[in-house]
Amino acid sequence: MRESQIMFLQYLTGILVLVFGSFHFLLISVLSPSPEKILYIYNGANATHVLVGGTLYYTWVKAVYSSLIWGSVFELLLTFLVYHVFNGFRVILSELIPGGRAEKIITYALLVVALVVFIWGSRTVVVSLAGGL
Amino acid sequence: METLVLKGFGEVVKTVTFRVRRYDPEKKEIPKYEEYKVPVQKGMTILDGILYIKEHLDHSLSARYSCRMGICGSCGMIINGKEKLACQTQILELGKDLIKVDPMGNYGIVKDLVPELSKLFNNHQSVKPFIVREEEEPKSEFLQTPDQREKYAMFTDCILCGLCLSACPTSASDELYLGPQALAQSFRYIVDNRDLGFEERLNVVDSKHGVWRCHFSGACSEVCPKGVDPALAIQLLRKVMTTNIFVKYQQKGATRGPERKSALGVS
Repeated sequence: MRESQIMFLQYLTGILVLVFGSFHFLLISVLSPSPEKILYIYNGANATHVLVGGTLYYTWVKAVYSSLIWGSVFELLLTFLVYHVFNGFRVILSELIPGGRAEKIITYALLVVALVVFIWGSRTVVVSLAGGL
Repeated sequence: METLVLKGFGEVVKTVTFRVRRYDPEKKEIPKYEEYKVPVQKGMTILDGILYIKEHLDHSLSARYSCRMGICGSCGMIINGKEKLACQTQILELGKDLIKVDPMGNYGIVKDLVPELSKLFNNHQSVKPFIVREEEEPKSEFLQTPDQREKYAMFTDCILCGLCLSACPTSASDELYLGPQALAQSFRYIVDNRDLGFEERLNVVDSKHGVWRCHFSGACSEVCPKGVDPALAIQLLRKVMTTNIFVKYQQKGATRGPERKSALGVS
């Protein structure tokens, strides 16, 4: 691949990480507790609170994470993130340690680490889709 | 002590201190700064100040210069922390009593203020800074409209002084980076309608240490003494490279004018 193709994908994945990351954080904020979802129970001097009518129930969270649409969003986000992050590392390190054998070693080492991270992340997404975790 | 004055300049206005970085690789001593008191006359440039030091105060000081009028690009150095041509920088315009002079950065040093510029020239050479054509001896002119010339006109003003590469932060960390000068010249020839060398330059420009490594700090354009904007050339070059992924960049070569013959009938 030419460097222009690699860097085009770098910028493209940067934008996509922003878009898919926004979906991800939007989902988290929807699932997160908010005052109207929390019922305070006053019991004399002690006050406790429980979640009522909210979405942060185990079953609801599990339902979201095992849906095919959200699973696909997470998998795509993971793909874009892994490419963007590890290619970014490659660019930084190739600038700091330019040329020769070191640069090749850095490139291949990062490729291996990126694959491991991608496989491990995909495993989490797939297991969640299958109803595990 | 009587103040020595230079002929051809105005009256002595004040005395400034030149703090000059001294380094001789052959002596294997660490670089050091030496200070010299220079009487400044109206119209004196930094180069005049350095030559005053060399003639009257310290003959061992080395600096490179030639035309003394901002054309040859030989006297680039860092003056009070900024890359400038010494012959184009008026001492009084700096408005300082202490003037710090360093050799250009991102190069080796031959001695004192003389940088070792082979990196600049090698990078320049690597992008084939000339019109690439198949024929060896064209028999007629290549036609070019004013608009076609305007695409690269600014970048023809480069005098290879090397100040841009000295100011470039990427060149400071990545010694294999082509640098703003070579990239701007690469763009200058790629968009020239007479050129056919895009593919030959691609391997050098579109490489790991080519056009994509620019951080776009803009320091190169900031320091260029000829008003060239290498940062703009790099961005335009990136546009060409990105477009080339989807639509192959076409160089048709300029159309030819009529074949010309000399008065003797020899072409």
